[in-house]
Amino acid sequence: MTATAHAASAPARTDPKVVLEAKGVIMRFGGLVAVDDVDMVVREGEIVGLIGPNGAGKTTFFNCLTGMYKPTEGTVTFEGSVLPPKPRAVVKAGMARTFQNIRLFGNMTALENVMVGRYCRTSAMALTSIVRGPKFRHEEAATRQRAQELLDFVGLGRTTEHLARNLPYGDQRRLEIARALATDPKLLLLDEPTAGMNPKETQETMDLIFKIRDSGLAVVVIEHDMRFIFTLCDRVLCLVRGALLVEGSPATVQSDPRVIEAYIGTGPDAPAPTPTAERPAVSLSKEEQA
Amino acid sequence: MNTSTLPNGARGTTAVTVSRPSMQWYLTLAGVVLLIVGSLLSWCYDEGVLGNVSLNVNPGPIQVFMIVIAVLTLFFLLLRGGLFPVLDRLLDSARALRALGATATAFMVAVVIVIALQTSGLANADPGVFVALVGAALITWGSWSLASDPTVDPVSVHMRGWVDILVIVALLAIVLFGAAYALGQEDGTVFVLFLSVLGGVSLALARSGLFSWIRVIAQRHRQVLMLGAFAVAFLFPFTQNGSDANMSIATQVIIFATTALGLNIVVGLAGLLDLGYIAFLGAGAYVGATLSYSAFATIHWKPPFIVVMIIGACVSATLGLIIGTPTLRVSGDYLAIVTLAFGEIFRLAMFNLDGNNGPNLTRGPNGIPAIPDLEFFGFNFGDTHDIFGIPINRFGNYYFFLLVVAAIIILVFTRLNNSRIGRGWVAIREDEKAAEAMGVNTFGLKLFAFAGGAFLAGLAGTVKAHQDVSVTPDQYVFLESAFLLAAIVLGGMGTVAGVLIGATILKLLPEKLRFVSDYRLLIFGLLLVLIMRFRPEGLVASHRRQLEFHEEDTELAEHVEHAHLEATAGSEGTA
Amino acid sequence: MDLFMQQLVNGVTLGSLYALIAVGYTVVYGIVQLINFAHGEVFMIGAFGALGTWSYLLGESTSIWVLPIMIIGAVAASTGTAVIMERFAYRPLRHAPRLAPLITAIGVSVFLQEAVRLFYPGAKSKLPFPQIDVVTGPAFKLGGVVIQRAALFTVIALVICALLLWLFVNRTKLGRGMLAVSQDPDTARLMGINVDRIIVVAFALGAILAGVAGVAQGLQNSNIDFRIGFLAGLKAFTAAVLGGIGNIEGAVVGGLVLGVVEALVTQYTQYLPFGLSAFGGSSWKDVWTFALLILVLVFRPQGLMGARVVDRA
Repeated sequence: MTATAHAASAPARTDPKVVLEAKGVIMRFGGLVAVDDVDMVVREGEIVGLIGPNGAGKTTFFNCLTGMYKPTEGTVTFEGSVLPPKPRAVVKAGMARTFQNIRLFGNMTALENVMVGRYCRTSAMALTSIVRGPKFRHEEAATRQRAQELLDFVGLGRTTEHLARNLPYGDQRRLEIARALATDPKLLLLDEPTAGMNPKETQETMDLIFKIRDSGLAVVVIEHDMRFIFTLCDRVLCLVRGALLVEGSPATVQSDPRVIEAYIGTGPDAPAPTPTAERPAVSLSKEEQA
Repeated sequence: MNTSTLPNGARGTTAVTVSRPSMQWYLTLAGVVLLIVGSLLSWCYDEGVLGNVSLNVNPGPIQVFMIVIAVLTLFFLLLRGGLFPVLDRLLDSARALRALGATATAFMVAVVIVIALQTSGLANADPGVFVALVGAALITWGSWSLASDPTVDPVSVHMRGWVDILVIVALLAIVLFGAAYALGQEDGTVFVLFLSVLGGVSLALARSGLFSWIRVIAQRHRQVLMLGAFAVAFLFPFTQNGSDANMSIATQVIIFATTALGLNIVVGLAGLLDLGYIAFLGAGAYVGATLSYSAFATIHWKPPFIVVMIIGACVSATLGLIIGTPTLRVSGDYLAIVTLAFGEIFRLAMFNLDGNNGPNLTRGPNGIPAIPDLEFFGFNFGDTHDIFGIPINRFGNYYFFLLVVAAIIILVFTRLNNSRIGRGWVAIREDEKAAEAMGVNTFGLKLFAFAGGAFLAGLAGTVKAHQDVSVTPDQYVFLESAFLLAAIVLGGMGTVAGVLIGATILKLLPEKLRFVSDYRLLIFGLLLVLIMRFRPEGLVASHRRQLEFHEEDTELAEHVEHAHLEATAGSEGTA
Repeated sequence: MDLFMQQLVNGVTLGSLYALIAVGYTVVYGIVQLINFAHGEVFMIGAFGALGTWSYLLGESTSIWVLPIMIIGAVAASTGTAVIMERFAYRPLRHAPRLAPLITAIGVSVFLQEAVRLFYPGAKSKLPFPQIDVVTGPAFKLGGVVIQRAALFTVIALVICALLLWLFVNRTKLGRGMLAVSQDPDTARLMGINVDRIIVVAFALGAILAGVAGVAQGLQNSNIDFRIGFLAGLKAFTAAVLGGIGNIEGAVVGGLVLGVVEALVTQYTQYLPFGLSAFGGSSWKDVWTFALLILVLVFRPQGLMGARVVDRA
């Protein structure tokens, strides 16, 4: 699979190979076009930012990528093969995500949460679980060890046995990342990983994301915190009303007047279709709706 | 509640401060002595009241209960006196003493009232009963102002391994003798009084923190506990000396508990409410019946019983798969109704397939009677066999066989729970969408939960057909599903021990409490409501459930969390 | 043709009864997303309330004038039961996990059945229900179609109840409060609506209709027993889901559709080919109803008319 991973559209330059390619993704809910013909390419070892005012369709786009929604039109290609719109297949292929509103398994311990993430990379079935042969025990021990490593990696090594629901907010977000990492992804999708965090926690999260990138993963981040996005990302995409407005380096996007206009909404002909379009550039919003 | 402002008591900051016995301590001790002396004396002239409490030095059953309470009180008093400093860190003696005192007093008051009512006035009461009453009152009074010891910590105190195991063995022995004793009581009043004393003592022990200690021990020595429990269950028939009545109840309890364990996979682990589960037991039973040597069996193929068991389980599992398929689209309350409808369809189908409406498979409302007893290699389950000189009757034979089946099912349950699949189930229960997004095969696991649970129930059903002798549709009504669910809810969802206890209580009490048999269902309904209201996590809560249901109760949350943090004591640092 | 019309009439009669009970499920579900499993028992208690009023207050008179008092007795019994049930069984569980209220509902259901069986004199077996003048007696004949008087009473009762309910929900302050709570209880609370009171009202409304249904059931079948609630409740729930749960109009339509389908299925499955007719007729009709319930829940959980609450995930 890795050998044929060079997608047809990969340019001839010596760019890192393409991990994810979304082409012409359209998502309609009845008459509402939530995602309107968006293209996106993510290359190996890249951190891509996805910004846009509330209601721009960022989370919906994420859901299309990860198979939670079946896009009305368009394809999502991962390492050269088209992904079926099924979350499980997507995870298996190597793409994992976190959620905007944290969705941990609250009544499981931190370790168990991460172990659930190993589900798709392990194979013990009912009979093996009941018989408990050496293979099962080996796999179980490996799962446990890997989960512990990941908890250490995100800095939760000491809260292994805490129930997820009792963890502090910031730790819950990091636990979600650990759980996603447990699926051995090649690409990690983070939906507002710093929402509700204080500056210190935000800084820690940034360090963590860099660390993840350095371990060889590509990362896509949705964020409202512009300073965070522009320091973190190699490339930024700005969605407005479902459509891709600008794509480019942080500097280009930051200085693009259309982006500022989309956020501040002061343009002379700004129709402002969603009531929540007016938003300060730096926000701690938690309740973006698709 | 432990904020009494009295100066005495061991409320030091150091771990163990052996305080000099206070006034209250001696008061309580005096109460213990009086209670024992009083219980050894005659309580009443009339021999016919409360068993027989009319003899000096030869106490009747109720007086024995009081002596047991007194001895327990003495134990906690000595604990408080600093006799066993290690245990003192495990148990809060003041709380236990208070609960014991209250139990004893309430109990003695009840006894006095019963004597007064049954012998028309207190004229027949002997001095002994008043001595005991005063003793009980003294215990209550003395213990009331003893300060609680808030530093009870069952987790970090490590005793030697053999001590732990000894505690487990002692506990199981008490369970065995308690069960044998309770079942041996023919007199309904004495049985009820025994239960209420048991309740009071349990409350006292729970207040003292003994149970959380035992829970920690049980966690450490899980296998010892399981083996021991199995041994106790195995020994039980030998305490019955061939008595039919109790062994019949015991076999019913096992079948019920086994089925409930299967349901526990679906409800307790995967979080799918199944209200038609009895249909799977029924399917197994009907397979067992139609393939049996009964003259009324409708299928004239007689495979060996082991084959019948497998067929029954597979038919059941197939039904489980069918009932499970809607879980692809339906969840929550709607799923509960779907399963309920399936259960009703099963019952109606069994009722209708009598030859007049569709093929004759089940003989309709008449059912399939006269199912012969099982026979393995010439060992007939209907005969009485002597083992070590103790007769083991028909029910005893089935009991042993069912015990093996139950052991298999418990093994399957715990091992599945403790594996990748079990984690997947719990993840589904917690947040199905997130589980799916993390790569868990949610639909497959839900189907497997249904099919697996049904398989186990089918297995139990085939044996039940032979044990019950006949199979009729009215054994498999919705109410039975509700009973199974209640056993799980009462005992504690997702736990093995809880379900076993819940099933035992729900089957045993109605059998022993014959005089309330007409009110059985009324009490059952009320019980369900009350459990959900006051202890929704059940008697034996898995730590998860306990937190889930008492979300706002931070004190409890911390307590449970702490109890769970067994290994990670002493960790600190900034988050 | 007469046979078909006759089955249609039977179906509408049956359906009216289902509809009256179904409204109770739907109103409560619309407000608190709770399947009040014990609602069938509320209906049963309504029937016993009417019988009790008749036996102990009205001196067993069969004059038509006792009917309104019987209905009041039925409604009082059913409403009282429902309100007490809400207060003591369900309200404490308002924020509990979803499993808890459902299990409580089962408990309440068993409790109520047993309470009636044990404490209503003679209720351990079937009890005859009084045959009141005018609403029972010789049937009307329309061509070849027979219309029982009790059937007519049921249908008229449904029409009146549905109209009054519609007026209540859409024209009164309390009714509009109910609509608000069903949309968003938290916001409604912030807007100063007493949500607890609205929930009690929802339970009471359902119980009133169930009480009326209890009287209708008694008049139609001429006897009642403590078990009538379970099956009727389940079928009425089917009707509520069929119409789209949470949707009051839907419950009425769903009840009528279910009744008609049941009547027609009972009649016409007898003519099925290939020996399948053995699976038709009245002994299998409940099986088909439950099958329909399952199919609706699986394939069209929002019902025919669309549910107020669709996403249950």
